[in-house]
Amino acid sequence: MSDARVYEVFARKDHNEALKHVGSVNAADDDLAKAYAWTMYDEESWVEMCAVPRSAFIPITHDGAVPLWGN
Amino acid sequence: MTTPTTSEFESPAAMSQVCATSLRNLLVALADTKLLLGYHYGEWTFGPPELEAAIAGCSLCQTELGHVRLLHGLLKRYYGDEPVSLIEDRPATAFANVSYLDQELEDWAGLVAANYAVDLAATRLLHALRGSAFTPLRMSLEKMLDEERYHIHHGQGWFRTLAQKGDETRQAVEASVRRALETVVEWFGPADESEDLELVQGGVKSRTNREVLQDLLDDVSQTATPLGMRIDVELPEQMPGWSPTTRRSGGAGPEEEILYHLRGSKNAVFKLRS
Repeated sequence: MSDARVYEVFARKDHNEALKHVGSVNAADDDLAKAYAWTMYDEESWVEMCAVPRSAFIPITHDGAVPLWGN
Repeated sequence: MTTPTTSEFESPAAMSQVCATSLRNLLVALADTKLLLGYHYGEWTFGPPELEAAIAGCSLCQTELGHVRLLHGLLKRYYGDEPVSLIEDRPATAFANVSYLDQELEDWAGLVAANYAVDLAATRLLHALRGSAFTPLRMSLEKMLDEERYHIHHGQGWFRTLAQKGDETRQAVEASVRRALETVVEWFGPADESEDLELVQGGVKSRTNREVLQDLLDDVSQTATPLGMRIDVELPEQMPGWSPTTRRSGGAGPEEEILYHLRGSKNAVFKLRS
């Protein structure tokens, strides 16, 4: 969908472990990002999952380049 | 307005006969609606506008069918209904699903309306059962409601997206949601319906169907109004011919073609059922 934004998805399986990057989704808005992230990355029983629009990232090492993990 | 009792029920056998029958009808209506929702989500695993929506469709289908299994488990345990019979042996006219799901959904706007209006209607009803005096149902609800959160995000997200994309998609989704809501109104039944009042009186439900319907319409309005949309539907006080067992005023139930696929009739020879 042309209006889609890329959201990076982070999750953790346990409250004692750090959030880790688990992937990304293309979604038109935050609601769809939540639905897509939850249904796509459902391989674990996450205790926390969150998504961040890639546009909100401040690149430090790869300024201006597509991240290695990206789509 | 009726005053609910504070009794807890471990089994419908402890309820009044009317309350027990009303509860069975309610469980069947929820299970049938979720079964048909699952079918349509599954059908739309292929053909949605983006791959993420296909994956979401698969997941939504899976959770709806899981909820059917759970509700059928209650019907088997407490009413002696065989889950296989509930799906395979009843005629189409006995199904109590929201009638919007009786036919194939012709386009993506149709699926979004099913997700946004019909799925949300069933979820709103589950919310009204959250503090249910029928303990076995109450124990099953949190799992269902937790999973339904993502169904709501998906429905609202796509409704908003189509409403803002252009005139054609906006009109299509508005028409489909209005059509879906009209059938949801029928599913919830007439105002002050006696079986429904019995369930509220018995503490099985916390709100009447009319109140639940109003909650749903408020939800829709909350999303639609900022988009400049107003989706009004009539709320008739009376519904001549309406039956609490099918939650319809008439109609034939799901199309035979849909039941044929849903029941796996093509593979009847491979079924394990004797």
